[in-house]
Amino acid sequence: MNIRNFSIIAHIDHGKSTLADRLLEFTGALSSREMTAQVLDSMDLERERGITIKAHAVRLKYTADNGQDYILNLIDTPGHVDFSYEVSRSLASCEGSLLVVDATQGVEAQTLANTYLAVDHNHEIIPVINKIDLPGAEPERVKEQIEEAVGIDCSEAILASAKEGIGTKEILEAIVKIIPPPVGNPASPLKALIFDSWFDNYQGVIVLVRIFEGTIKPGMRIRLMASGKEYEITKVGVFTPKMEDIDQLAPGEAGYITAAIKTIGDTKIGDTITDASRPADAPLPGYKEIKPMVFSGLYPVETHEYVELKSALEKLRLNDSSFSYEPETSSALGFGFRCGFLGLLHMEIIKERLEREFELSLITTAPTVIYKVIHADGSQIFIDNPSSLPNAFESIEEPFVKVSIFVPNTFVGQILDLCQEKRGTQTEFNYISKDRLMVVYELPLNEILWDFYDTLKSVSKGYASMDYEFLGYKQSKLVKLDILLNGEAVDALSLIVHKEKAYYNGRQIVEKLRQVIPRQMYEIAIQAAIGGKIIARESVKALRKNVLAKCYGGDITRKRKLLEKQKEGKKRMKQIGKVELPQEAFLSVLKVKE
Amino acid sequence: MFSSLYIHIPFCIRKCRYCDFYSVKANDALISAYCEALKKELELRKSGVQTLKSVYIGGGTPTILPEESVKRLAAYISKGFGFAPDAEITIEANPGALDNKILQTLLNYGVNRISLGIQSFDDADLASLGRIHNAEDAASSIISARDAGFKNISLDLIYGIPGQRLEDWKRTLLKAVEFFPEHISAYELTPEKNTLLYDDIHSGIVEMPDESLVSDMFMLAGELLDAHGLRQYEISNYARPGCECRHNLNYWNRGEYLGLGAASHSFVDGLRYDNLTDVESYIKALSNGELPAGNSARLTEEDALKEIIFLGLRKSEGIDIELLPPHAIPLIVSAADPLALNGLLECNGSNIKLTRKGMLLSNEIILKLFEAL
Repeated sequence: MNIRNFSIIAHIDHGKSTLADRLLEFTGALSSREMTAQVLDSMDLERERGITIKAHAVRLKYTADNGQDYILNLIDTPGHVDFSYEVSRSLASCEGSLLVVDATQGVEAQTLANTYLAVDHNHEIIPVINKIDLPGAEPERVKEQIEEAVGIDCSEAILASAKEGIGTKEILEAIVKIIPPPVGNPASPLKALIFDSWFDNYQGVIVLVRIFEGTIKPGMRIRLMASGKEYEITKVGVFTPKMEDIDQLAPGEAGYITAAIKTIGDTKIGDTITDASRPADAPLPGYKEIKPMVFSGLYPVETHEYVELKSALEKLRLNDSSFSYEPETSSALGFGFRCGFLGLLHMEIIKERLEREFELSLITTAPTVIYKVIHADGSQIFIDNPSSLPNAFESIEEPFVKVSIFVPNTFVGQILDLCQEKRGTQTEFNYISKDRLMVVYELPLNEILWDFYDTLKSVSKGYASMDYEFLGYKQSKLVKLDILLNGEAVDALSLIVHKEKAYYNGRQIVEKLRQVIPRQMYEIAIQAAIGGKIIARESVKALRKNVLAKCYGGDITRKRKLLEKQKEGKKRMKQIGKVELPQEAFLSVLKVKE
Repeated sequence: MFSSLYIHIPFCIRKCRYCDFYSVKANDALISAYCEALKKELELRKSGVQTLKSVYIGGGTPTILPEESVKRLAAYISKGFGFAPDAEITIEANPGALDNKILQTLLNYGVNRISLGIQSFDDADLASLGRIHNAEDAASSIISARDAGFKNISLDLIYGIPGQRLEDWKRTLLKAVEFFPEHISAYELTPEKNTLLYDDIHSGIVEMPDESLVSDMFMLAGELLDAHGLRQYEISNYARPGCECRHNLNYWNRGEYLGLGAASHSFVDGLRYDNLTDVESYIKALSNGELPAGNSARLTEEDALKEIIFLGLRKSEGIDIELLPPHAIPLIVSAADPLALNGLLECNGSNIKLTRKGMLLSNEIILKLFEAL
């Protein structure tokens, strides 16, 4: 059997999903009639945002010009920096990649990061210059850029337009010719790499695997080497892209298995599946436990929705083991959950799904990282909530990331200013072509949590792109900034900030809160404090008048409805003591323009 | 069973800049067809003989009707209903469209209360409201009504007019009390959608006075009118003892009423409904023998409870606790307590009522009580 396993590396919007659709269509996996636009991005949210979140694997049948039949497994990769570990496991399942670059945009930070990942996995890389049909396309310039920035020979690069179907056949031929066939011995003990899994209501967890050694078939007793759990295989199969059961998966093949697995927490991405009766002596390399990096409190606006929120989180977690949640109690917000996410996008996706699919109205507290607090006696604690920062400690450390930014030289000044302001230290500054640079900074993760990406985009008119990776913990001068309403500290509004920025931030936050808190029946005092010392104060003056002047002529129903409409408007407010806080107040503390 | 009747006369000489009540320009043929339609509606809506305690003829400008039409209407009404001996029969009238003959005719047909759309005694205010009359017309209309024999006169006043200062409002109030009216309605100018005023505010041509000035005007009206023997009995209404408008009190007490005419509202047998707004459609429906029905809604228990609260709190005497369903009483009382501490309302054993300061925040307070349910 001739097999080729490949994935597609591309920056957001460079046309990965459209190209995947085109390959499916060309190989007859789906007729054009069956194609809904972008089949692989099956979640609505993914489609709306143009981001692929879940990895998929599709088996394509292709008869090449040499007359031979091939099985091509397209292993899709998530397209966002928050999911780099998942990307690396998908890449580990293939022998080669298509590097898709938009002919009008050129190389972006993420393209580079993922290409390096692919090179690390010994991939053969096929450059594809996409969108050549667009008026602004500059394929030659982009080729040069790829050669300079990524160091890949582009003389054979394929010029394509996935939208117009240009270059599809050339791409398929290149996959067959350039990407090496997988190797592996069907008789060896089983080694299968888990690169994705999700929960299905009828079949339990569906696990996507790539077989490296041995053979997997229904009835077999398997062991997951990292978790140690054992199951009996009920089904194996492939996506064509429809789900199709088959007899077995042999070395080099990619497909799914089911084994009555109840939670996806048991099928960790990167884990190795082996035969329980004849286990492999070592797992496949590269397994890592994924840990959430960003934490935030999620609270129902309506206290009675706590139970619904809990069950919604349970359901979401069935399909996404990379986020975590623990019950927490806030004196201001009541009962809620401290949730951990891979990154900000991941957080936004989860929050949006909770609100959209489960119709919950939520308050999200400002996202935070995990701080390491070191006591005088040398003991350490990790805190994921600013309000749990102890009053006394020896020192505090925060996570740092290495941020790589690609930017046209015209905007580099603004980008350097931005990184400086965010407490960054420059480590690299290189021209990758005559008008584009790559700058690398070490930044506190905390500083890129909120508006960094948006600001990066806006100061560069959308031209800068970024990627980040975790570096480690470093000591910083950090303090807790408390926000008080009418003299009472609101735990859900506390922040950990850098000492030198604390005064400025405090003033900005109280000012921002003054703007977002609507006037109420009583005056509201807003204060910022560090260690009990008030550093800023604003007040929201009491509302004097909210009255329906006229109520005669008998139109009572309309008046009642006017009042009910006002009530609706207040529904998304959270009562804290005597103060009603709008939901955005909890995030506005971070939306401070610096 | 209703004992109040409202009749809407949707005709005006000119539309005022702030008014969103339904009215059109009149002509004789239209008025005549409209009166015919009213007659038909009355016949369709009335069931048995009802004794009316109040009739209110509003508009629009009801006094725009020619004598002939007034006569016809009066005949229909007196044929259709019985009247309590002390029935209150009010008509709205506007200075500038009122002469002695009309006043005399109205009295002859039993109208015993007149509500005059004075709005202000300041020509600048009247111009910015787009009224057809000036301050002099306003004064002379009151004198005419009194001379003609009206013993129960109500003056409508408006405050919070663009450009109006606190002292201007005070002058209007002082002028009003000089005429010893039995009743004053003082409404805050509220820009309603689909009015010229609203459009001008939104395009920045006109600026509304700020909240604090308007609040001061409200407080001033209460204090000044009180001092002149006109007691505040509702958020926007003041009267000499015994001269409170019975017809309007019936609305706030959730009594039933029948409304006739285009765009009128009714509350009959527990059903709140309204009529078609458009005069032509209204006439057409009735000429086809159909009811000019618009929306209708039967109140749920919750709706009714909300009405008791928000209508009750409009009145100075407040909500009669006995009218509340037993389960709601502790909920409402406990939500009311903190407000009482802040001087916004008063809670004695039998009533929950707003202070004057509380009236200004009545929507906020009502919503707090709604939340407590």
